[in-house]
Amino acid sequence: MRRRDVRGRRLGILVAWLVALALLGAIVATHLKVGTDLRSFMPAPTTPDQKLLMDQVGEGPGSRLLLVAIDGGDDATKAALSRGLATALRKDDAFTQVVNGDFDLGMLDTSLLPYRFLLSPTLDTGALDETYLADELQQRLDDLGSPAATLLKGLLPRDPTLETLKLAEHWTPARSPEVREGVWFSSQGEALLLAQTRGAGFDPGAQDDAIGRLRAAFAALPESKGSHLTISGPGYFTVMVNAQTRDQADWIGRISTIGFVVLMLVAYRSIGSLLLGALPVATGALVGIVALTLGFTEVHGITLAFGFTLLGVAQEYPIRLLSHRRAGESAVAAVRGLWPLLLTAIASACIAYLAFYASGVGGLKQLAVFTIAGLLAAGFSTRYVLPYVLPETARDVAGMPWLAAFRNWLDALPRPRWLPLPIVAAVLAMLFFAPGPFWQNDLSALTPLPRDLLMKDAQLRGELGAPDVRYLLIVQAPDADGVLKASAALEPRLREQVAKKHLDGFELASIYLPDLATQRARQAKLPDRAALDAMLDTALEGMPFRKDLFAPFVDDVETARTAPPLTPEVFSRSPLGQRLAAMLAQRDDHWVGLSTLSGVRDASAVAAAVAGSGVDARLLDLKEASESLVAEYRTRILHAVLAATALLFVAITLALRSIRRAWHVLAPMTLATFLVLAVERALGIPISLFHLVALILAAGLGLHYALFFERDTGDPAEQRRTLHATVVCVIAALLVFGMLAWSSIPVLRAIGLTVALGVGFHFCLSILMAPHADQDRLR
Amino acid sequence: MRVLDKPLIVSGELGWLGEDRLERRVDTPTKEVSTIADGEVTQQREGKKPRTFSLTRAPQLKVLLDSFVALLAGDPSRLSESFDVTLGRDADRWALTLTPRDARIAKQIARIQVYGTGTLARCMRMDEADGDMSIDLLGELATKMPAEPTREGLIAQCGGAM
Repeated sequence: MRRRDVRGRRLGILVAWLVALALLGAIVATHLKVGTDLRSFMPAPTTPDQKLLMDQVGEGPGSRLLLVAIDGGDDATKAALSRGLATALRKDDAFTQVVNGDFDLGMLDTSLLPYRFLLSPTLDTGALDETYLADELQQRLDDLGSPAATLLKGLLPRDPTLETLKLAEHWTPARSPEVREGVWFSSQGEALLLAQTRGAGFDPGAQDDAIGRLRAAFAALPESKGSHLTISGPGYFTVMVNAQTRDQADWIGRISTIGFVVLMLVAYRSIGSLLLGALPVATGALVGIVALTLGFTEVHGITLAFGFTLLGVAQEYPIRLLSHRRAGESAVAAVRGLWPLLLTAIASACIAYLAFYASGVGGLKQLAVFTIAGLLAAGFSTRYVLPYVLPETARDVAGMPWLAAFRNWLDALPRPRWLPLPIVAAVLAMLFFAPGPFWQNDLSALTPLPRDLLMKDAQLRGELGAPDVRYLLIVQAPDADGVLKASAALEPRLREQVAKKHLDGFELASIYLPDLATQRARQAKLPDRAALDAMLDTALEGMPFRKDLFAPFVDDVETARTAPPLTPEVFSRSPLGQRLAAMLAQRDDHWVGLSTLSGVRDASAVAAAVAGSGVDARLLDLKEASESLVAEYRTRILHAVLAATALLFVAITLALRSIRRAWHVLAPMTLATFLVLAVERALGIPISLFHLVALILAAGLGLHYALFFERDTGDPAEQRRTLHATVVCVIAALLVFGMLAWSSIPVLRAIGLTVALGVGFHFCLSILMAPHADQDRLR
Repeated sequence: MRVLDKPLIVSGELGWLGEDRLERRVDTPTKEVSTIADGEVTQQREGKKPRTFSLTRAPQLKVLLDSFVALLAGDPSRLSESFDVTLGRDADRWALTLTPRDARIAKQIARIQVYGTGTLARCMRMDEADGDMSIDLLGELATKMPAEPTREGLIAQCGGAM
């Protein structure tokens, strides 16, 4: 009857636990919002250059451009597809601008048409007088008799001087691809398009959506069956990397889970153990996510992905419990004996992950909260709930035959006291003679994108004259008009640089919208209605133009003469104005003009020209700024790690109450960490932030091994159980991280390799440097 | 033309360079040479730099090219590819009416008519959808352009409507 009671109680607790997990799951499902902006994993910028970098990398004009190439089929088909795609995308509000060489006469918004006199530079050098009008009208007459008549007929009454055409030429980039069949074609014969998305470049969700619509629009075109679409650009790369990372994480997760299941079955020969052992880990995961949902408005996708790996540490707690059960001992008693050590292990792991919280990076803070909450939940549920649901009796692992043999073999290994010395020597030698740079500063080396994709992007970018993503021209002034004035001052210098072939092209805000003073100067040169009428009458003498044909023209001039000058706000309401809006930004108390450059060949010459122009402008090298950001970030993390390590030393010493014992735990751990570092350097791998993160994780695991091996119980059976538990943990960790080490994505590979090596070294060193093996042998 | 209150008179030479190439040389009022080749129009005006644009943006020219080449090459199948053809006869005079089949072109060019007598084509008349009309007097008629032409006068000169 007692057994049935106990079994009933066990079942009851188990059911209650499952229900609690289900509730947590429900909370997560309803409240979890996953974010995708990669910038939350970057440190907060401190210098103005870094701030600009963060803005630009995510939302700058260059980062939102998608380069599209169409091939397959003959020229006419490709051109038709290009036109069809452009029309479809212009109607789609996911795209702010689509250009494909299809010269758009209507570039200037019709409501802004009178302003053409203020925007065009014609009035700077000439006057709107009789001779000018007569000359222009004669030319138009000649045009009407020529094949170009159809192009001009509609425009003639309103714009006989063809200012709109002059403006369009002014705004067309200097370097454009060849035009065939009316659209752009590359030198390889593909039809080319440029599309600017509304969503930021660093937001994989928005970019994915835009790219999806692009593909759908293409597939919907009637002749698209035989043709092929190639897309390139920063947004596309972001989406690809995201998908690749998710894919790999998925199949790695699957293989690890299967391996884990097999491992548990082999180790414990009981399905019950496997299932029940999974419960604390599941609890940890769910509690971690709930903590995130409560603490942050949006949980980052990367946090969830990395968080689960870090939670791999938590699987240790139930494994320790399962391995340490003695024959005839209840789980509750076993866990009570184990608890002090387990608690030390949990506490030290939490301290290590506090280093992430201290780094000040949004995404890493989330990671810290997730892991600490998860570990605490897993640990405490192992202590207080798991023992009550485990079966009363269990197989004592100390009785496994291979285990005894293994333990004896390990005990027989020589364990010289002087072991640390050669290891330290080896570490120093490897670090000293390692090839390559120590730190990985170049974030682009961490890209998992295949070489040919990047080359294709470079080729398309060169042909389209699309701006370089690396360089930005920054102009600063107290207000928007000041920025425009300064940009205008820069223009002649930049044209000089283009002439000297240091630069292919540039885009300045002042090209689209001149500053207020210039506009007013041009306005002053416009004749009033009466004068214009008189001039027109004289000029039209002898010409066959219909009377009053040019009334709209006279109206336009009058409107332009009296209207207030165009400001950026009014201008940005037009489609062309979007381009300008991307180039002018307000920052705190001043305005910044961001101009893109294309085909930069001699950056230092351009930078010197800009610096010497006398206005507040400079050339920003985004690559340099990002590298400085990475370096600063790393320093902050290193400080946090050192602080955590110091705290850890203190905590372990206090817990073990003896410096000698603390030494036996901390020495192997420190040595193993440096050994991993040295081996990776000897392999020529530069150390990046992700390696540092992984080293912390490996140290966390290693600490547990050392703590348990250090424990002096004097009971050989107990020591065999410790060995069993540790071996199972090591294999489990190697399963997850070893798999990651094979990934094609540099970030995952860095983490996998480091932790796998770390786990291996920690295990070996903990055994070799454990204190009481001698006593065992003496027994 | 709607934009003019007097007709615009242009004279010069129109030459077929074989296949799909046409050269239009204008002597008065301004010297200008336009060449149509490889789907592009190159316009060269005296004292100005040459301007090039695609043939697809000047449907007038495309139609001109198609009809001219087909007529001069004596290729009826090519003609009926791009146009609906009707022939009107009155004794020695004939009038060939070509209506473009392509809807996009038809929006700008309503129809072309070629008037002729015997074996010679005398005039070519192009009616644009917006009401503008151009009449080319060909061959020996070209020298007989009146100083103040009117639509009706020119049509009569061509041999009359039918």
